Amino acid sequence: MCHLGKNDDILYMDQGKKRYIHSTTDESLKSGTVQMEKEILFEAKHMRKEFGPTVALKDVDFTLRRGEIRGLVGENGSGKSTIMSIASGMQPATKGEMLYKGQPWKPGTMVEAQDAGISMILQEANTIPGVTVAQNIFSGHEAEFSRFGLISMPKMKKEAQKVLEHFGITHIKAGEMIDKYTFEDRKLVELVRCVTDQTEILVVDETTTALSLEGREILYKLIHKMADSGKGIVFVSHDMDEILEQCTDLTVLRDGEIIGHLTREEMDAPDAVKTIRYMMVGREIGDKYYREDYDTSHRDEVALELEDVSLGRIRHFNLKLHKGEIIGMGGLSGCGMHDIGRIAYGLEKLSGGRVVRNGQEIKTPLQAINNGIGYISKNRDTEALILNGPIQDNIVLPSIPALIKNTFISPRAEKKLSDREIDNYRIKCHGGKQYVNTLSGGNKQKVSFGKWTAKGSEVIIMDCPTRGVDIGVKQAMYSLIEEMKKQGRAILMISEELSELIGMADRLIIMKDFEVTHEVERSPGLKQTDLIEYMI
Amino acid sequence: MTAIAQEREKQSLLQWIKKHGSAIASLGGLVFCIIFFTIGTGMKGESIWSGDKLSTLIGDVIVTALMAVGAVFIYSLGNMDVSIGKQVGLYSTLLVLIGNATGSLLLGILACIVIAVIIGIINGAAGELLHMYSVISSVVFMMVISGITTIIYSSVGSKNISLTGIDLSFFRSPVNMVIVLVIEYLVIGYFFYFTKFGKYARSIGANQTAAAQSGVNIIKYRVIPYIFLAFCLVTASLFQMGYTGAASDATGTGFEMNVMVSLILGGMPLKGGMKSRLSCAVIGALTFSLLAVGLPIIGVPTRMTFMIKAIIFLLVVLITCRQKNGPLPR
Repeated sequence: MCHLGKNDDILYMDQGKKRYIHSTTDESLKSGTVQMEKEILFEAKHMRKEFGPTVALKDVDFTLRRGEIRGLVGENGSGKSTIMSIASGMQPATKGEMLYKGQPWKPGTMVEAQDAGISMILQEANTIPGVTVAQNIFSGHEAEFSRFGLISMPKMKKEAQKVLEHFGITHIKAGEMIDKYTFEDRKLVELVRCVTDQTEILVVDETTTALSLEGREILYKLIHKMADSGKGIVFVSHDMDEILEQCTDLTVLRDGEIIGHLTREEMDAPDAVKTIRYMMVGREIGDKYYREDYDTSHRDEVALELEDVSLGRIRHFNLKLHKGEIIGMGGLSGCGMHDIGRIAYGLEKLSGGRVVRNGQEIKTPLQAINNGIGYISKNRDTEALILNGPIQDNIVLPSIPALIKNTFISPRAEKKLSDREIDNYRIKCHGGKQYVNTLSGGNKQKVSFGKWTAKGSEVIIMDCPTRGVDIGVKQAMYSLIEEMKKQGRAILMISEELSELIGMADRLIIMKDFEVTHEVERSPGLKQTDLIEYMI
Repeated sequence: MTAIAQEREKQSLLQWIKKHGSAIASLGGLVFCIIFFTIGTGMKGESIWSGDKLSTLIGDVIVTALMAVGAVFIYSLGNMDVSIGKQVGLYSTLLVLIGNATGSLLLGILACIVIAVIIGIINGAAGELLHMYSVISSVVFMMVISGITTIIYSSVGSKNISLTGIDLSFFRSPVNMVIVLVIEYLVIGYFFYFTKFGKYARSIGANQTAAAQSGVNIIKYRVIPYIFLAFCLVTASLFQMGYTGAASDATGTGFEMNVMVSLILGGMPLKGGMKSRLSCAVIGALTFSLLAVGLPIIGVPTRMTFMIKAIIFLLVVLITCRQKNGPLPR
């Protein structure tokens, strides 16, 4: 049995059948009856959080018990990250109280929360650049390796390597500089830094999208081990398969309110995914998610060409992207596909070959933009967006040359363009003047999409375009990508999610070790299992 | 009004205050200084707003404000220029020397603009091309210009030179000073807020990588702000030299610090970016000059005014530049 709905309507799932009852008082149903016997580790009562006029959480009650891996799902901006960011000391609540191990809990900083046993791994990179892996792992704990005021680096390095190996991470060397490692590896270092013997609650906030396949396995093993030893895990993710596989319980949020809870048994129900989606969005998502057609036709004109391109371990790579075509590039992170995106946008200095658009060689992002190419970077917060800037300034930045009239840029024209994209993507904000760093992950991604649709780019290179984006927005983005194809725009879609590549691309290119290992056309019978062997 | 509505209104107000904290602090500081010195000087039987004191105040504020308005462009990039003072010293010297030789300021102004633009271009491009902090190239210029100035004064055989035969009354009129400052503010304001030059400069200051990936030519738009600064420095030099009718080897010494302190007092974020405001220059310069002119009138010994200025500066930095979160420990 599961229960969902809000205020008056509680929707029961009983043996696969939906039943509505009228209830506003039956709190035992809302809080999950099956959980009663386990010890409560953390509790939030009547929690409210406001960001100016935006209400992120409305009177939320949330309970986490020992041994639970509690999934938190909801659309972007539903408040799922906000609950745990308050619990882990990142920001204060506007109202409400918290209890941790039965005691009142009001952490002032993340450091305080972490010392008390609540650790949170964030979506974006949080490592310290310019120092070694070991220094990152023991940041703030240097005194443990200090004698007479001098830090013993060899001792710290040795201990850090031991900790890494304890987590099953053997490919990262503690003595190396952190900058040498990929985003995925740095995320693993962050994980090692966050989780200590004292950790009682681990919050994993949309982290898995930033991890490689191996990294995910390490994380999954860790959270199950922690849960088995009576710790509490809160797992925030948009990946429904992952949630259903890894979590013991699930809480669904919508618009700052808890809509319902599901137990493990309810999550195993045949139509669980459909039910959860309904709870998240508040309407039927429908069956149409990806493209339904299998028409791989496109125009004859080549929109973008990579001719015999070489860079680092990528040797003699060739690609022709046509107008009205979606090419999907897949593989494990670090296989070279992300580099191809950067090359195509003129971000890398090639050792051989060239990138051509409309007969012109593309060597810089400026040349790319002037030739109608847009690029959505995988590293959203550091490369795609100006976080400490208004939404409007971010959206209009690539379009500024088009807005200039005799050197003058009209604020009205800027606002009009920005408001159009805010409406198109339904970005949850109270206007274009709101700063991007106050938006949820998915809404930030919508802003980076809006930059290029505002510019009217003919070729769009998307590196992990739906990373951190909820299903409702994903669906909207997929239909937008489909619409772009119909308009004759060319799309290079780079993704670690094979399902979206299979669902959207006309042609799929799989890479492994910086080489193309497989190329296949869109077809109804194409499955992930057909492609995985070419990736690993 | 319900309790929730009241609470919401309170929260909104708090959020607004938090968002505009820096602007409120800087403007509040200026208002405080105005009120404090109006009352304080009144109690001493003088008024800071009397004709001669106001004239002194404007004379004091004008050069700093003219430089600071141009420097906002540089600071919005996240850059800093410590050669500003020495540049003003050099241009003042050249204006006197060329003015005495030709009997006109025009040729001197043109020469100064050419030199200032060249220095600006090198200063702006060096940081990006040589991958070093922009302040380093400005330190180099500070030393080079210092050397040139020493050579000039050694060859002249005096530490002071005066301009003769040219009417400088225009540069001594407080009204003209205010008019020129307003014109410079409006011109720079137009470029800073309503053209790509200002928008790109602030984007670069906020996130250079994102700006570059959005099509901003980093080197070009790192150099152009220095050209705006060059014009502002020549204008400031004109008023500096025009006010006294002379220049010396010490002219301009410490001006770069006056500009920096003024901008910080005005609420300018030292990291630059989207929150950079042109008003910081004028608010900061006014506050700075009010302290310089007002403190001696209320009886504070000159040697103490530096200490008081330093304490106020420290307070503003503490209020506006606090870091919210440190790195997370293991």
